[in-house]
Amino acid sequence: MNSGREVIDGRLTVEGFSVAARAFADKWKTHNQSLPPWSWVPLINRTLLLSNQEEGYLSLENILILSSLEESTEDESLNVATECSEKEEPVDHTILVQNQENEAHYYDFHIVYSASYKVPVLYFRGYCSGGQPLSLDVIKKDLPSCSVSLLLQSKWTFITQEEHPYLNRPWFKLHPCGTEDWIKLLSQSSISAGCQMPVELYLVSWFSVVGQVVGLRIPLEMLN
Amino acid sequence: MSEKETSPTILQFAPLNSSVDEGFWHSFSSLKLDKLGIDDSPIPITGFYGPCSHPQVSNHLTLLSESLPLDEQSSVASTSHGNRNKCPVPGILYNTNTLESFDKLDKQSLLKAEANKIWDDIQSGKALEDPAVLSRFLVISFADLKKWSFRYWFAFPALVLDPPASLVELKPASEYFSSEEAESVSAACNEWRNSDLTTDVPFFLVSVSSDSKASIRHLKDWEACQGDHHKLLFGFYDPCHLPNNPGWPLRNYLALIRARWSLETVWFFCYRESRGFADLNLSLVGQASVTLASGESAETVPNSVGWELNKGKRVPRSISLANSMDPTRLAVSAVDLNLKLMRWRALPSLDLNVLSSVKCLLLGAGTLGCQVARTLMGWGIRNITFVDYGKVAMSNPVRQSLYTFEDCVGGEFKAVAAVKSLKQIFPAMESSGVVMAIPMPGHPISSQEEDSVLADCKRLSELIESHDAVFLLTDTRESRWLPSLLCANANKIAINAALGFDSYMVMRHGAGPTSLSDDMQNLDMNKTNKQRLGCYFCNDVVAPQDSMTDRTLDQQCTVTRPGLAPIAGALAVELLVGVLQHPLGINAKGDNSSSSNGGNNDDSPLGILPHQIRSSVSQFSQITLLGQASNSCTACSETVISEYRERGNSFLLEAINHPTYLEDLTGLTELKKAANSFNLDWEDDDTDDEDVAVHM
Repeated sequence: MNSGREVIDGRLTVEGFSVAARAFADKWKTHNQSLPPWSWVPLINRTLLLSNQEEGYLSLENILILSSLEESTEDESLNVATECSEKEEPVDHTILVQNQENEAHYYDFHIVYSASYKVPVLYFRGYCSGGQPLSLDVIKKDLPSCSVSLLLQSKWTFITQEEHPYLNRPWFKLHPCGTEDWIKLLSQSSISAGCQMPVELYLVSWFSVVGQVVGLRIPLEMLN
Repeated sequence: MSEKETSPTILQFAPLNSSVDEGFWHSFSSLKLDKLGIDDSPIPITGFYGPCSHPQVSNHLTLLSESLPLDEQSSVASTSHGNRNKCPVPGILYNTNTLESFDKLDKQSLLKAEANKIWDDIQSGKALEDPAVLSRFLVISFADLKKWSFRYWFAFPALVLDPPASLVELKPASEYFSSEEAESVSAACNEWRNSDLTTDVPFFLVSVSSDSKASIRHLKDWEACQGDHHKLLFGFYDPCHLPNNPGWPLRNYLALIRARWSLETVWFFCYRESRGFADLNLSLVGQASVTLASGESAETVPNSVGWELNKGKRVPRSISLANSMDPTRLAVSAVDLNLKLMRWRALPSLDLNVLSSVKCLLLGAGTLGCQVARTLMGWGIRNITFVDYGKVAMSNPVRQSLYTFEDCVGGEFKAVAAVKSLKQIFPAMESSGVVMAIPMPGHPISSQEEDSVLADCKRLSELIESHDAVFLLTDTRESRWLPSLLCANANKIAINAALGFDSYMVMRHGAGPTSLSDDMQNLDMNKTNKQRLGCYFCNDVVAPQDSMTDRTLDQQCTVTRPGLAPIAGALAVELLVGVLQHPLGINAKGDNSSSSNGGNNDDSPLGILPHQIRSSVSQFSQITLLGQASNSCTACSETVISEYRERGNSFLLEAINHPTYLEDLTGLTELKKAANSFNLDWEDDDTDDEDVAVHM
C-alpha cells in the first residue's frame, strides 16, 4: 500500500534513494552556496532488472580544510636516501623559492545506498595535497570538537573503515546500523505533526544528523 | 596590490606542484601486475589541473586512476563530475623495475626530451590548436609491488628564456580593468568555463573592446583578433594562488608567444576562481618584457628546467600504501573491525586486547582440534600451536574442518597441514605445528625409548610454559594426564573437551595447587571457601590406565556423532574466552546455570562461567556441573605435583611404566581398600578412617 512516496520504518528503497538524492542535491545547491554542489555519479555496467531508474551515488570531493603545520608530521613517505648531485640543473633565478605553507587536507564524501541495511551511508576519506591518505587519527583532529565527543558518546554513530563498494579501496564510513532507528525517531516527529516524511526529505533529514559528525552543516532552510 | 613600476624585476614563477591520488597507484599496480609485467617502456598518461580555486591554497597537477590509458571497464563512469577542474594535459611515465635503475635514470635527458616535444609543438603550431600541450609533464617512478610503496618524481619542463623575462607590473585584475570591463571579463570567463567545449582549454585570449565588451577567444584566432581590440591579454588557468607571482604554465606560454608572434611586451592574465566563478580579485594581470631571440638562437631549443622539489630538496617523493593495498593488512583490519563491532554494539566491556595476545596450545589436531582452532580465529585469536603426531587420513577431511583431500593424498602430518590451513584462511595467523606423541601413563616403554620419551615430556613442558592456554583435545583419557599435570604445575589455563558416541564433556581445569597462599595449604581443604576447581582426573577413583588395548575397534577410535565435535569444540572456546574476560581468570569460581545472582554474572560481561558442561545429544540436553579439586587426584593434587617437582624424570618414568604407581602415591589404593573393606564390614562402627572423604 506504500505509494513509494513516504518513508516507512526509517528505510529507503533503491528507487527512493535516487529520488531523495536528487532532491537533496538540488536543495543543497540552492541553499548551501558556501560549499560546492553534490554531483550524482551513475553506476554503469549493472544489470538493471526493474525500472530504468539508474543506480548511483552522490559525490562531494576536494573539500579543503587547512590545518596547522604540525600536522604534516603525518608522513607516510619513506626515507629517501641521498640527494641527487650529478648533473645538477643550473640554478634558475626565475623559480620562486617557496616557504612551507600550511598543510592542506582534502576530503571526499560519497553518499552511497546500502542494499543490506536499506539506508544511505556516508563514506569519506582524507588526503594531503601530495595525495597521501590521512589516517583516522589525523582526520579526527580536523573534525569539529563537538563531533568527536558525539562519536564517543553516541551509540548511533561510529566510524569504521571498510571497502568502498564501488572503488575497491578502503574508505571510512559512518556505520549504518543505527540509521534506521534514529530516522524512525525523526520521522515520528513529523507523524505527530500529522504527515509522513516524504521520500524527498529523507536525505535532508539524514544529513542533518550525519553531516554534523563530519563537520558539514546544512542550513536550516533546507529542512523546509 | 603591488605595483612594480619603473625598475622591472626578473619575473619569478611559482612552481607547479604534483598530487597523486591513491587511485592512480591502485590502477597502476593492476596495470603492472596484469598487463605490463617487466615491460618498462614509457607509458603515456594524462594529468589534470584547473585554475586556482582557493585564495590560500594553490591547485595541483593531479594524477587520478583515469590518468592511465583506458583498458578495462570500471563500474563507475569516469569523470562525470566537473571536467572544468580537470583540464587534461599530456604526460609520460617512466616506471623502472628496480630502485637502482630508478636512481640511474638520466633525468636531464628525459627532461630535455620532453622539453623538445614542447618546443616542436610550438614551432609546428600544434600548441595553438591544443594549447594544453604547453603544460606537458614527465614522471619517473619505481613501484615496489611487494611492499606497496611508490617512489616518484615529477618534472614540469619549462623552456628557459635567455635572458629571463622581466616583470614590468603585476596587479589584481580588478584593479587593472575598469568595473565595466571587469564585469564583462568575468561574464565571458564564466561562459568559457561553463561550456563543455572550452572549459578544459587552459590557454586563451582575452579581448576587450573599446566599449568595455570582453570576449574570450582561442589562441589560434590570434591573427583574427588583431586590430579588433582595445586590450588584448594572454589568459591562462593559473593554479597558483599567490598575489605576487604567476604560476608555472606562464613559462612555456611566454616561450610560445615569443616564438610565434615575436612580441616584446606581453600582457598576461592569470585566471583564478573561487566557488566556481571567476574571481578578479584573486586573478592577476601583469606585463612582462621579453627579449626576442634573434638569428640562430630563435631556432634552437632553449634549455629546460622543471624537476619538482620535495620540501625544498632535490629528492623524489614517496608514498606507502600498504595499509590500503596490502591484502593481508586489509584482511586484518576487516577482522578487527568485526570484533570491534561486537564490542561497540553488544559488549562494551569486552577486552579485545587480551584475546589478540593470548597464545593457545592445542593438543590434538583432530575433530576437536580443528573446530577449536576455527572458533579461536573467529574470536580474533592469532597465536595457535598444534601438537599431533598423526597424518591426515582419508576419513579425516569430512570431519576435521582444516583438512582437504589433497592433504590425505600427500600424506601430510596433521600438525603441519593445520598450520598451512590456518594461514590460508587468514594470512596474519601466527601458527606452528609440533609433530609429537604425548607420553601416557600405563603404557610401559622399553629402556631404549626412555630418552626420547623423556625428551617429549620436556618438550611438552616447555610448550605449556610458553603458552597461556592449553586445550586437551586428544582421543584418549590417558593422553590427558601429563598435560593436566604440567598445566597444574605451571598454573596454566587448561580446557578439556572429550567426546563419547553421543555425548560430550567440556570443562576448565581449576588453578594449580601451588597457586594458593601458604597458610591456606595447611587448612583442611573441606573447610575453606577458596577451593580449587577440579581437573579431568579429580573425579576419578582409578588412575588413567591403558584404555586402548583389548578394546574393540569402535572403542579405540573415537566414533562419535559428527555434530558433537563442532559443538564441543565451540563450547571449549567460549569457555576459554569466558575465563580470559573474567577478572579472576583461572581462579574464577564455577557457576551453575541455575545460579542467577552472586556467581560470576556481575563480573563477566559474557554471562556465567561454568566449571563443567556435559551434554547428551540423544536427549538434546545440557547441564553444568561443579566439582572441587581432589586431594587424591592423580594429576593435579599437591602430592603429585610436589613429587613431580622433586623427582622429575624418575617420577614420570614410574608413572608411565607402573600402572599402579599413581594410585599408590595419591592414596587411591588405600582409598579403594578402605572402600572395599567398608563394604564388607558393614556393621563395624570401629572405623579409623575419619579422613576418608570421597570427593565426587
